[in-house]
Amino acid sequence: MSAQKKRTFKIEAFKHRVELDPKYAEKTWKVLEHAIHEIYNHNASGLSFEELYRNAYNMVLHKYGEKLYSGLVTTLTWHLTEIAKSIEDAKGGLFLEELNRKWGDHNKSLQMIRDILMYMDRTFVPSSRKTPVHELGLNLWRDIIIHSNKIQTRLLDTLLDLIHRERIGEVINRGLMRNVTKMLMDLGSFVYEEDFEKPFLEVSASFYSGESQQLIECCDCGEYLRKAERRLSEEMERVSHYLDASSEVKITNVVEGEMISNHMQRLVHMENSGVVNMLVEDKYEDLSRMYNLFRRVPDGLSTIRDVMTSHLRDTGKQLVSDPERLKDPVDFVQHLLDEKDKYDKIISKAFNNDKTFQNALNSSFEYFINLNNRSPEFISLYVDDKLRKGLKGVSEEDVEVILDKVMMLFRYLQEKDVFEKYYKQHLAKRLLSGKTVSDDAERSMIVKLKTECGYQFTSKLEGMFTDMKTSIDTMQGFYASPYCEIGDGPTLAVQVLTTGSWPTQPSAPCNLPAEILGICERFRTYYLGTHTGRRLTWQTNMGTADIRAIFGNGQKHELNVSTYQMCILMLFNSADRLTYKEIEQATEIPAPDLKRCLQSLACVKGKNVLRKDPMSKDIAEDDAFHFNDKFMSKFIKVKIGTVAAQKESEPEKQETRQRVEEDRKPQIEAAIVRIMKSRKVLDHNTIVTEVTSQLQSRFLPNPVVIKKRIESLIEREFLERDKTDRKLYRYLA
Amino acid sequence: MKLVSFAVGRSTCVQQRSRTMEGETVKLISAEGFEFVIDKKAAMVSQTIRNMLTSPGGFAESQLGQVTFPEISTPILEKICQYFYWSLDYASGKETEFHIEPEITLELMMAANYLHT
Repeated sequence: MSAQKKRTFKIEAFKHRVELDPKYAEKTWKVLEHAIHEIYNHNASGLSFEELYRNAYNMVLHKYGEKLYSGLVTTLTWHLTEIAKSIEDAKGGLFLEELNRKWGDHNKSLQMIRDILMYMDRTFVPSSRKTPVHELGLNLWRDIIIHSNKIQTRLLDTLLDLIHRERIGEVINRGLMRNVTKMLMDLGSFVYEEDFEKPFLEVSASFYSGESQQLIECCDCGEYLRKAERRLSEEMERVSHYLDASSEVKITNVVEGEMISNHMQRLVHMENSGVVNMLVEDKYEDLSRMYNLFRRVPDGLSTIRDVMTSHLRDTGKQLVSDPERLKDPVDFVQHLLDEKDKYDKIISKAFNNDKTFQNALNSSFEYFINLNNRSPEFISLYVDDKLRKGLKGVSEEDVEVILDKVMMLFRYLQEKDVFEKYYKQHLAKRLLSGKTVSDDAERSMIVKLKTECGYQFTSKLEGMFTDMKTSIDTMQGFYASPYCEIGDGPTLAVQVLTTGSWPTQPSAPCNLPAEILGICERFRTYYLGTHTGRRLTWQTNMGTADIRAIFGNGQKHELNVSTYQMCILMLFNSADRLTYKEIEQATEIPAPDLKRCLQSLACVKGKNVLRKDPMSKDIAEDDAFHFNDKFMSKFIKVKIGTVAAQKESEPEKQETRQRVEEDRKPQIEAAIVRIMKSRKVLDHNTIVTEVTSQLQSRFLPNPVVIKKRIESLIEREFLERDKTDRKLYRYLA
Repeated sequence: MKLVSFAVGRSTCVQQRSRTMEGETVKLISAEGFEFVIDKKAAMVSQTIRNMLTSPGGFAESQLGQVTFPEISTPILEKICQYFYWSLDYASGKETEFHIEPEITLELMMAANYLHT
């Protein structure tokens, strides 16, 4: 409703009337004062709200607002002083209850007073910038009751004492606590903070500092963390029950600081129960608890991570340098995979799949796998073992899982080209001996390598598969052609391999028995007749042969042997006893291979078709061999393996290494040229960094080697040194 | 003198409404002693009356369910009651004019200030 002016006018008219009774204000105030007393004495039921309201209304209207307000302050002060006395007099445990009860009364009275003085609150208070009635009541309560000498410290001590009692296991009246802390909050959050929260946090800190000291002396790590966790949840529960929500962060910070931060290092390194022990014994629950607790404090997780990393590195280092383990590459890799599985499981179960932990795990593996420069070979051997025999009767998905795991190890390798080299060798052996279990698995492995390293990496491997297929066609052609004379002679299966795709070792061909030579020559004529301009070289070190043998008591056996072994055995068709020297001369098989063959022919129990003089495990140069007449076997077919899945001997290893180094040279050169072509001018260090990053997916090039390659490129005039600045190289188009 | 509100011809609309609407009623008494029985809900449009009826501690008004206004005359209080109902309608979306006769404007304003309406 409008008409502001008219109202002002009317009020002046009222003023006139009031002047008739000078005692009006005094009388009216007396009525109100009496009412306030009655309200505090719980006697309000007889009072008329309307009358009191009207009186207050008129006092304000007649400009006695100031008198009304100051009267109110005086009356309230008087009442609160009385209340303070009665609270001070309360004995022992009744103190808090009395305080709480009086607070309730005061609140109720205050509301009634505010209601009857509403008009003053609405008009006089804002215009004269006074504190509104309700707030005034709270302020007075704060100053007169809470901040009174006798009550302030007593209240604080009582509260802290109750909390301490609850901490040591007693049951306290939480409802009362809740009311009292709420009262402190109602008086303003700074009252709560200053009069209660601050000292509360200090007392808590010293309590937990003491308790954690005591616990850490007598508990193991898991036990300690369990207790810390319980304390933490207790405090949170306390906050939710009877403290203000804003305290939660503060008190949990205190507990975390005292119980976790301060003892972090000691906890993780605790002997027989620290992180290392938990990791070793797969204590998922403890680790998970530790993770969740340590996550709350700064540097907590990195502390766990550091311990895990150093433990991983130590055990990994031991693993890869343990000579016992190195004896069996398959077991070695299996062990690595198991270790990885174990930690993957820990991270997913206990560490919430934390990315930083996964990274730490990966970097640790990368670190120690590359400590052993035979890792690429071993991983390839592991795949070899799996693809040869390990995957029989395993479903396709499981094969994928195993191969994926291998790929994961592969990713850690820095020298991926070394792996490629070995993988090629092993694949060649598998393909040629027809021992691969599943073509699908082989191909899937190739696809994985391809996605990981690109087409270049696998093109030769794929070439090998193509060769195998064309060889089958060629053989069919050969047997259909007039070149092959079908008779009693041996059957020949030739696999024609493209030079370059296969890891051929330039081995001196051994002397083949006459029976075989004939058909070999016929094949050569056939093949060169259909494909002109090609050259065939026999790789006798890679073939296999099936031969039929009749033993002493007329027992017939079919022996499945390598080409070399076949050559040796054929010699015994014309002699019963041959010395090592004689065999070597007749076959011209290279010594290490010969020894290996003889070992598998004479020294393996159940497959010893030859007898050796003297009987011993190893082959010596002056040994002699007999045809073993008494050879017995349950099987008609006897497979005499060359010692399969051999890891390389030391000189072979050196050789492979050297070949890898050779292969790296053109790759490094290509990278340098690629970089220089786009950048034109570059200084030495930048080239080295760029080359390293380009080749990282395959291997880590040695800076010295890079320098040599640059020099070589300068010699061949791909690059030149800058004439003024010798550190700069220029690209010569 | 004691008259029930519906005896006054002009305030029949008030009475009719109170009959139709469910819930508690309160009695407002004018300076001359006229009693207006209206819905509590309507009376609560006035902030002052709301406090009178809801303030804790049991004032006489909330116990008896009646409020006496010694400074408000019968016609003004009647107009005020009509205003309460009009205000409720207005708040619920029924936008009509509330007619105020010019001669009572001043007194009505005074009462409105008092009742915090």
